[in-house]
Amino acid sequence: MQTEKVSVQRAVRSAVGLILVLMSGEAAIAAPPAESQVVSLRRLTEKEYRNSIADIFGKEIEVRGSFEPTKRSNGLAAVSTAVLSVTPVGFESFSKMANDIAAQVTADNYRAKLPCAPKDPKTYDEACSSRIISHYGLLLFRRPLTGAELDKRVGLSRRIAGQTNDFYAGVRSSLSMLLQLPDFIFRSEVAIPSGKGKLRTLDSYSRATVLSYLLWNTTPDAELLQSAQSGELNTPAGLAKQVNRLMASPKLDAGMRAFFDDLLQLDTLDTVSKDSLLYPKWGSGMADSAREETLRTVTGLALHDNGDIRDLMTTRQTYIDRKLAVLYRVPFPFTGDWAKVEFPADSGRSGLLTQISTLSMFSHPGRSSPTKRGVALADIFLCLPTPDPPNDVDFAEVNDANNPLKTLRQRLLSHAGNKVCAACHDRSDPLGLSLEAFDTIGGFRATDNGEKIDASATIQGQSFSGAQGLGQYLHDNPRYPACVARRLHTYGRSAQRWTMDDFPDTYKAFQSSGFRLRALLKSMALSDSFYAVPPPENSSTDTAKAAALH
Amino acid sequence: MKIDRRHLLRGTCQGAMAVMGLPFLDCFLNSKGLAQTNGRPLPTRFGTFFWGCGLTHSLWIPKTAGTGWEMTVQMKPLAPFRKKLNLFSGLRVPLDSKPNGQHWSGLAAASTGIAPSKSGEFESKTIDQQVGEVIGKGVRFRSVSASASGDPKQSYSSLGGANILPAEPTPLSLYSRLFGPGFQDPTKGEWKPDPRILMQKSVLSAVSEDRHRVMQNLGSSDRARMDQYFTSVRQTELQMEAELQRPTIEAKVTIPEPPSKDLVANNAWPNLEVVTPLMARLGAMALATDQTRVFNLSVSSPQNQMFKPGDPLGFHQSTHEESVDPKLGYQPRVAQYNLESMQLFAALLKELDAIREGDGTLLDQSLFMAFTDQSYARIHSVDGLPILTAGGASGRMKTGYHMVGDNSPVSRVGLTLQKALGVSVDSWGKDSLQVRTPYTELLA
Repeated sequence: MQTEKVSVQRAVRSAVGLILVLMSGEAAIAAPPAESQVVSLRRLTEKEYRNSIADIFGKEIEVRGSFEPTKRSNGLAAVSTAVLSVTPVGFESFSKMANDIAAQVTADNYRAKLPCAPKDPKTYDEACSSRIISHYGLLLFRRPLTGAELDKRVGLSRRIAGQTNDFYAGVRSSLSMLLQLPDFIFRSEVAIPSGKGKLRTLDSYSRATVLSYLLWNTTPDAELLQSAQSGELNTPAGLAKQVNRLMASPKLDAGMRAFFDDLLQLDTLDTVSKDSLLYPKWGSGMADSAREETLRTVTGLALHDNGDIRDLMTTRQTYIDRKLAVLYRVPFPFTGDWAKVEFPADSGRSGLLTQISTLSMFSHPGRSSPTKRGVALADIFLCLPTPDPPNDVDFAEVNDANNPLKTLRQRLLSHAGNKVCAACHDRSDPLGLSLEAFDTIGGFRATDNGEKIDASATIQGQSFSGAQGLGQYLHDNPRYPACVARRLHTYGRSAQRWTMDDFPDTYKAFQSSGFRLRALLKSMALSDSFYAVPPPENSSTDTAKAAALH
Repeated sequence: MKIDRRHLLRGTCQGAMAVMGLPFLDCFLNSKGLAQTNGRPLPTRFGTFFWGCGLTHSLWIPKTAGTGWEMTVQMKPLAPFRKKLNLFSGLRVPLDSKPNGQHWSGLAAASTGIAPSKSGEFESKTIDQQVGEVIGKGVRFRSVSASASGDPKQSYSSLGGANILPAEPTPLSLYSRLFGPGFQDPTKGEWKPDPRILMQKSVLSAVSEDRHRVMQNLGSSDRARMDQYFTSVRQTELQMEAELQRPTIEAKVTIPEPPSKDLVANNAWPNLEVVTPLMARLGAMALATDQTRVFNLSVSSPQNQMFKPGDPLGFHQSTHEESVDPKLGYQPRVAQYNLESMQLFAALLKELDAIREGDGTLLDQSLFMAFTDQSYARIHSVDGLPILTAGGASGRMKTGYHMVGDNSPVSRVGLTLQKALGVSVDSWGKDSLQVRTPYTELLA
């Protein structure tokens, strides 16, 4: 079989690399074969960058600098990492961080951790320089450096060390260079022939990278790289061994936190501001606490308790700190910073839908917004994005000046009378209106402007009331778990546009497990389709994509 | 008088020749009207000011054209700078077959001269980057952008496509980028090149040499992305080169000590009111000390989220939900937010005008364009997009005028600004936005 042939080729090359490592301390391989192609380059997110540096060099190395923002498209910021480049402002920051990290790694107090030391720090030592560079080159690039690459990096080190009579100045330059190359700043997915028709598959180092960032949100560790190097990762048994290992680790938490942070659009909390006159309870640090609450809830239910992810829509259990206790108006059981609490049945609370994060992110500074909430919920949980309203939409109906006491609900419902508006508002408004018992900072309220809140809603013939009704509606809606599965695929392999048809077996496994996140992850990570790459793009769409960039 | 080679070159072509050869003729054209003090030419600076959701028609447009226009309600905050301003009303924004992307098409048309196909993306470099290529060479930063409402994404400066050049989101981050590590105060006596920069430069040129290797085995869209990447590497290299040379400056400014703690920057008016002038001051100092010649300040996203405490709607939501007062004929709360947006622009101009340079002020040596995304936010219309400019571009831009709409497309302003700044350009924009005739009456 062709796959095997390729893995063997790769394995032989890797073995050559390994022998080189053993012989001279250099992890170097020949240039990649002609049939391989880079099919995706994803810019590391801030978290991925920080985690990678901490795992490669140690937590004591500080990363000081700012990162270019990402953009959300198709519901995920992860998608944009495969589209965005690095601007001059972004590179300026990467460059500064690289110099700073390289300086810390070659400082007196760190040197003992390097793989070797020169006899005399004032004299250049080629063997040691080469060993350090190949060691960190492998870790930073998530693949061994080729012989030519290594020669160049060592050459820089030699030149600078010669100019400065300082071995570590040379090493510092080369490390800084590695950190400034796109091979580190972007993680690449390299496709090779799969042996099955025109479909291609990811090579073993790309698999290691995809798995590690998906499951741990960080760079592959030594064992994973080793299994890539030996070709083991491209065998079913080898893949299963690594997937099981990665999933059994507590680091899975970090991986899934990153996924849910993106899925639930929690980065919105970075720029949320609330009206301090109307909502004085919203203080500094509230947004961070709200974000943490949601991440604890998700990982607690889906990972630690191995629960049904549909219950994220209905659970009354959550995690709060003192700040959140004030907003939720519940007593805080004082042991530690965070406590798991359960809202009473009559609290009206229902899973993620009524957490402060969701309620505050999709609201105005001084007012709740059923439309914003409805649009966001439809997109996040049902994968149903809403188009912009028409430009010249007449808001007069919605804003009847002669009847200021009319509730927001009544005003919104007037959309139903207009066919153009109704197409979207019929979907978004019921979702949002059922959450009207919660204000812009997530507090419960029985009335709005003196009017009793009516949180009943009807969507596609199904009637329900309040957040708990909405929670049950989403819990029972098959689109919701399917949407999570689809977004997880896209998150893991953003170069691909996934539809449900692309992974029927994975979805079946997810379903028959009772919608357990671990079952979904495992089945996905073990399936061939997750690593599949379509045949080379036809040139016209490729050109169109490139044109869109310019 | 001491004239070294660098000054001589700057005299010939604003310093551009020192780094990269411009066509000989362009240099002659560019040097026209260059202000000089003590034989030294002062550089001309460019900048933008962005606020979302526009102004109110009936409250900002003066009734008369030319220089004798009467002050209007919404221009009042700018009254102290009236003689240094130009107002452009009635500009058309023809989008041809492109969609009218809400809160995007107008601003993209104004800043690129091209109606965008996709919201959130620019189809070419934005005007500040186009101008920066000509006037911004040889200084540390090709451009610097800041967001007074605290969001790095609120930048309308781009090299094209989906990438935007992120804005500094707080006064401290802006300070650190400008006057933190890598900055040497040219107003102080002591000045020597930092030897670490030389080493960092060697590293960067080694990185650049890997371009060819990186480009292999890539699809064309990723090739374009890597092309941008190495362009960014090159710009950082140029920045290092600039950091090795002492800038020549005229203005007497004192770089403040770093703020001991950062300020909250967000959409709440009380914060905007404090953060905007502070960022404006830092930007003005960066221009005066020749750290950059292009400074962009934004105070909001296009869907302007500015809010006054106690107002549950805020600016953007008010544009859609506040009723038009039948007696006044406009949305009163929206009008208040419009006015406050102009107060923030005035805060920027105040800082620029406070720094003496040559025979005038930094503002006189600059040209700033204030622009927005909608002409009438309530219905997302773009025709009649308000644009204001400030500053005399070192004497090459006449000021004090109200230019009344004569069916000109919005791109005519961009073309005029570029002409005033010495950019060699015959036409600007695409399709119906393409223009060949600047407002010649404004060019000195």
